[in-house]
Amino acid sequence: MSFDISFMIIALKEAIKYIPITLVLAAIPLIIGSIMGTLIAVIRIYDIRVLSKLVQIFVVIIRGIPLVLILYIVYFELPKWVDTFSTKFNWTIHSKDINSIYIAIVAISISAIANISETMRAGLISVGKGQFEAAYSVGLTRSQTLRRVIIPQALPVIVPSLCSNFIGLIKGSSIAYLVAIVDIMNGALITATANYKFLEAYIAAAIVYWVLCACIEKGSFIIEKYLRTFTRGECL
Amino acid sequence: MENYFNINLIFQYLPQLLSRLHITLLIVVSATVIGLFFGIILALFRVYKVPLLNQISIVYISFMRGTPILVQMFIVYYGLPLLLMKIGININRWDKLYFVIITYGLNAAAFKAEMIRAAIVNIPIGQVEAAYSVGMTKLQAFTRIIAPQSVIIILPTLGITLVGLLQDTSLAFTLGIIDVMGKVNAIAANTYRSLEGYVSAAIIFFILSILLEQLFSRLEKKLHIQKI
Repeated sequence: MSFDISFMIIALKEAIKYIPITLVLAAIPLIIGSIMGTLIAVIRIYDIRVLSKLVQIFVVIIRGIPLVLILYIVYFELPKWVDTFSTKFNWTIHSKDINSIYIAIVAISISAIANISETMRAGLISVGKGQFEAAYSVGLTRSQTLRRVIIPQALPVIVPSLCSNFIGLIKGSSIAYLVAIVDIMNGALITATANYKFLEAYIAAAIVYWVLCACIEKGSFIIEKYLRTFTRGECL
Repeated sequence: MENYFNINLIFQYLPQLLSRLHITLLIVVSATVIGLFFGIILALFRVYKVPLLNQISIVYISFMRGTPILVQMFIVYYGLPLLLMKIGININRWDKLYFVIITYGLNAAAFKAEMIRAAIVNIPIGQVEAAYSVGMTKLQAFTRIIAPQSVIIILPTLGITLVGLLQDTSLAFTLGIIDVMGKVNAIAANTYRSLEGYVSAAIIFFILSILLEQLFSRLEKKLHIQKI
């Protein structure tokens, strides 16, 4: 048995076709996570009664559980819930109609919300308490403070960690193959099922993931540089 | 839907899962040891810019950080025997656990290398120059000035990576390792009560993560007091 480079290229071509699926599996949770994560971060920073404690418990629990477990729990339980609700309310959706990709998106989103909320919170905290107080003292409301003072300053801090969150999500989305979703990993593997050249298939998948993550990292650098240009001028 | 969630089953499953906990912990501990060892070497290559080795470690770290651990695990599982066969070592009969430990160790090495490098670079260059100027050798400057300060910077991040590693070990079951996660799948397949099994596993992972976090925040506080 030796390494078959020509087969690896075939697997590589097949894997490239499924990049959109992986991107969907990572980008939608990123967007959901950014929105909900900001909300959670704001709730925790303003220390809103009861809610703040509730979201804190949610974040701690979800961050303590591996993504695979979340995926399995959602994968096996969500269809049951949908079925109970659909029989109760006479919906037309049934569990068998749900594509498993939506289930994976839900599972990855749950973990993304918890992780990104921590990123957002760290970014908002990095701005400093004095800025909040200064904004209040000139008569800005809470939402104005956030929109005009805090978020513009927090963005350069948040964007790099958000990009590393995105890379984490892309890598994390590889476990979607466990629930039979054809993403980069599974796309490469399907070509190998006929001739058992799994090593070549896995290396092909690894190359695609690597290039994808390297591109995102480069993009993150460029965006960060662009965002920093604004702060540089102000500091002087 | 009656009998949807049976809480008694959790108490029934937890002991069964805990009986496989040592495998999970074994992976975490041995991967951390391997990771720290190779991580320090890789970090030193990068900090002191050793020619060629520096470039190799950059590519290695980038690959390990840019690909899912699931893919790495299978590459090691299928690739390592092939590679070692070329130099005449047959490891086809190795236990799968060794492959998992090697993968997690190599993966942890890349992450720890970056962490250690950041900590070393964080120490002002003036301190190193001061150490040289009082006549310390490179080794002395490293062991007496750089290393003790870096450890304090590394500890909090080490805690985070350890929690990450613990959660990553939940993927070892894809290779057929019967650790906590593998046992859950076996239970779920046998009894058709998947939710209780997964919740029990979630409880175990959750408690372990919290314990690790607490442990490291205690350590951190202790070290900070000594620093002052």
